[in-house]
Amino acid sequence: MTYEAPARQDGPAAAQTSADRTFWGRLAGWGPYHALMRLATASPRRQFLLLAAFPILWVLTQHLGPMLQMLRVSLTDAYPVAPGVEQSFTLDNYARFFGDSIFWMPFFRTLIFAGVFTFCTLIITYPVAYFLARHVSRKNQMLFLLLLLIPFWVGEIVRTYAIMILLGNTGAVNLLLKTIGLIDRPIPFMYTSFSMGVGIVYLTALYMLLPLYSALEKLPKSMNEAAADLGAGAWTRFRRVSLPLTIEGISSGCTLVFLISTGFYATPVLLGGPSTTVFAETIAGFFHVAGDEWPTGAAFATIMFMAALLITATFQRLMRMLRKGENA
Amino acid sequence: MNDRPELFRGNRIFLSCIYWAFVLYVFVPLILMVIMGFKDSNFIGFPIRSWTLEWYTGVFADAEVISTFGYSVAIAVLSTLISVFVGTWIAVLLEGRKFFGRMAMFGLTVLPALVPGIISAIAFRIYARYLGIEPGMGAIIWAHAVHNVPFVVLVVMARLSTLPKSQIEAARDLGADPLISFIRITLPYLVPAILGASIFCLLLSFDDFVRSFFLGGYDPTLPVLIFAKLRSGMSPEINAIATVALVLTAAIGIWAERFTRRMNKDS
Repeated sequence: MTYEAPARQDGPAAAQTSADRTFWGRLAGWGPYHALMRLATASPRRQFLLLAAFPILWVLTQHLGPMLQMLRVSLTDAYPVAPGVEQSFTLDNYARFFGDSIFWMPFFRTLIFAGVFTFCTLIITYPVAYFLARHVSRKNQMLFLLLLLIPFWVGEIVRTYAIMILLGNTGAVNLLLKTIGLIDRPIPFMYTSFSMGVGIVYLTALYMLLPLYSALEKLPKSMNEAAADLGAGAWTRFRRVSLPLTIEGISSGCTLVFLISTGFYATPVLLGGPSTTVFAETIAGFFHVAGDEWPTGAAFATIMFMAALLITATFQRLMRMLRKGENA
Repeated sequence: MNDRPELFRGNRIFLSCIYWAFVLYVFVPLILMVIMGFKDSNFIGFPIRSWTLEWYTGVFADAEVISTFGYSVAIAVLSTLISVFVGTWIAVLLEGRKFFGRMAMFGLTVLPALVPGIISAIAFRIYARYLGIEPGMGAIIWAHAVHNVPFVVLVVMARLSTLPKSQIEAARDLGADPLISFIRITLPYLVPAILGASIFCLLLSFDDFVRSFFLGGYDPTLPVLIFAKLRSGMSPEINAIATVALVLTAAIGIWAERFTRRMNKDS
């Protein structure tokens, strides 16, 4: 970034002293503005309050507000309240969750799927990140990485659709398998947990790849060489050197991917089938109908959020303990 | 590159195979989707026996697609303006002097980015009704703006942390008040970060499905339109629409990537 000279506003003003010649110079010298600034910066405390008031108000009302309102609605018996009816607080919406397997089955399925898909993403992207960080010259690293970033600019729906075409009964994979003579009849990949997994890994891979890449990139090469000199094979080097030292990247990548995978709605709807209904679809169901189901939907969303937070917090804690254990 | 390649050659070949396989995995589905849009048939599937340009020309003649496209772009631009304004402000606060509750403030700032998609959409839907915002363009803009703020904050904070403090001090010594030194020194320094964050927000908003779906009125955004069409069956028409969206987002993404890199190099 270059700092160009202030735009000169020549003309009548050009005759003034050089400090006053610019727009900003004149603004600073302008009485009302000067007085206002004096007032605003009278004390560091006041100056800070003026800077901080809007951001604090924004995060409280816009970031925290929706979550708190969701929590509040989940505890009410009706929302929005019909005129003339007293709104009362209740835990019934939460009780409803445990009462019917049609509710908690998709919930546990979502968590298990998200866990499995996260693990798959990790397994798939780790070697890719490793290759990028360790075996590509620094000059080409950005190019190789950018190549992978391009498809990730494309939206969720478009990429989900691309997977539908890939895996359909008349899709590319089945055509390929048929051409090389492995199968006679197409394998029904679509509308199963497999197709959903392929889709979700496809959508989340980048969020795993980037933290892994930045963790691996920081790892000094000499460590691996030292291990090799001491006679460690490729597998031992990976298990004893690279893996423990990139736990931080693994931990943040997994957390991110897990949170994202639990939140997918369109992808399971399009790629999944009746046997793979996820909790997002259950929650959404309450919002397609009239408002009186909203409290239940809000309660279910709250349960989902709490569970996701609990799992990722536990996971991060475990990883931290693991890292400490390795260092000891 | 390793200093002693002979040690790691075996790994290298193996890993490069994995890398290129991954590149295929990432690109092939999209390439197939683009190709399928040229199929001269109503049915999606291989093999393709005859070809046509009809689906692609049809997209540009379809008034619904064109207006949806404009609607999505308008939402993306307006929500990005809000996100960038608010995000930059928050970043300046967080990168400034330490204050009580800064970590809490940071946590709250990144919250919308961490909430899983469906839950964020539901929370926004409920809050929109609480605020009296009707589902529609305003609600989508608001939800996208709030959701994208954390990304702006993170990008701008990273850039702010490298701002040489001496420049601000020099400006202050020369009599500039905080506002003017911000506009004259800090803001120009932040331009690459702000532009990068803007492009990122534009793409996030343009690609977003779940919030647009739950907060939308009768007019769909482009992803919502594709979703609705997909539910009534796959057709090469959808391929053509999706391809146009794909080309646009990928082009902006690549351009932004190069642009921000150049800006960062210059400074």
